[in-house]
Amino acid sequence: MKNGFSVFIAAFIALGASWCGFVLAPLLQLGTAKQTAVLVSGDTYPIQRTGDATLGLQVYRANDCAACHTEQIQQSGVAFDVVLTGLGKNPMAVRSAIQETCELIYKDNPKDKNLYDMLVEHLSPEQPFSPATILNSVTKTIADSASDKITAAGGKVETHLIPTGADISRGWGVRRSVAADFLYDSPVQLGSQRIGPDLADVGARLGNANWQLLHLYAPQSVVKNSAMPPFRFLFEIKKIDDAPSPEALNLPKEFAPPAGCEVVPKPEAKQLVAYLLSLRADAPLYEAPFTPAQVSTNAPAK
Amino acid sequence: MSDDPKISNPQPDAEPTATRSTVPMWIFSLTLVLIYLGAVYFDHHGGWFDAKVYGPYASADQLDSYQPKSGAAAAIARGKKLYEMNCGICHGVDGLGKPNIAPPLAGSEWVKAKGVQRLTHIPLTGVSGSIMVENQPWNLSMAAMGAALPDADLAAVLTYIRASWGNGMGEVTADDVKAVRAAIGAHPQPMIGDQMMKMPE
Repeated sequence: MKNGFSVFIAAFIALGASWCGFVLAPLLQLGTAKQTAVLVSGDTYPIQRTGDATLGLQVYRANDCAACHTEQIQQSGVAFDVVLTGLGKNPMAVRSAIQETCELIYKDNPKDKNLYDMLVEHLSPEQPFSPATILNSVTKTIADSASDKITAAGGKVETHLIPTGADISRGWGVRRSVAADFLYDSPVQLGSQRIGPDLADVGARLGNANWQLLHLYAPQSVVKNSAMPPFRFLFEIKKIDDAPSPEALNLPKEFAPPAGCEVVPKPEAKQLVAYLLSLRADAPLYEAPFTPAQVSTNAPAK
Repeated sequence: MSDDPKISNPQPDAEPTATRSTVPMWIFSLTLVLIYLGAVYFDHHGGWFDAKVYGPYASADQLDSYQPKSGAAAAIARGKKLYEMNCGICHGVDGLGKPNIAPPLAGSEWVKAKGVQRLTHIPLTGVSGSIMVENQPWNLSMAAMGAALPDADLAAVLTYIRASWGNGMGEVTADDVKAVRAAIGAHPQPMIGDQMMKMPE
């Protein structure tokens, strides 16, 4: 072949460059990833899975759950809420500072007029003070300038960071998925098609093991019109001998087994559910920060 | 023999060869524009190959500026953790206390006091003897559980106690703790219950 050596070198460089970009660089970046610290609380994240949940990942893989479910929440941006937590020593000055900043922002948007009126009523001197959201879903610049103005007047404010995006507004998670979420997954079950919902945060979203078992045995018994096929082979239908098993599913009538029989989950079903419940991407991390809801409120003692 | 085969069936000239011609300018321009647009896109979305930077964040600097500030919420979250490690065993993670072990903190007038000096004293020196909490006598003794905690950590615990379980009181700063610790001195003695009862808030 004419110029065979040059063609070989060119092909080698082209393939080598993409290998460096797609294999070597990610390995250098994430190959030695370790547990990280959760923001604010300093807890360790992620926690190693229990034995059942580790086996459950293999059940998830064996049943090809990743064909219909992804495990990656996406995020398109961030928004900021400004929350007034204290009026300080000069409530009058704080109130007028709030009025000034909020009027500027809410003025152009008639949709926010109601919000603004509610805020004014909430902060009126006759009302006893309680924390209030002053600005909802604004940019960082607006949030910072508002919080500077109110702090200068003596008030106390907190700026809350809220991730935004289609997945998050669907309620599939609170922040985007990052590499740390998959530290103990082998192999990682990212998935690419969303015939069913995303499962990256399903343990936090649907944390009831009984619900998960019912859903695996008969999806339509808990989610009407679900497109998910039933996974009945993960369960055993057996005759009730002396007393019903404590593990038997409590199914609605149209899904219940024949009289005298009960549905008991096999170990695989329990492992898969343990794995699903271990899927929680709800810790704020450095690379995916957010302000957890209600960090500073505890239920009052009764 | 006038028929010349060359005329009726002419031989082609020599084999054609490619000639060099200059690349048109528009290809150069297009390439430059594409490189420029690629560089701009990379600058906005690439995060400069930082393993910690994911979309929608553009750079490590932006991500840094978005980190939650360590405000009252952070202190309370930290205080909750420290409380559950140091205090929760006796006073309960719900702050309700345990009979014959520790008095309640939820709704206690000792916690809801206006000043923080007396409250700060308790974990720094410990208490022994009878005190009244919510009109109930508690005759127990508590060790100086907070004496080993740094000022900022003890302040976080006290802030958590004061903010939680409907107590709704304000924050305790590290300076408050530092002042009380300085007033106590290097060798704290457990406060006797009567002394503690008389102490100003």
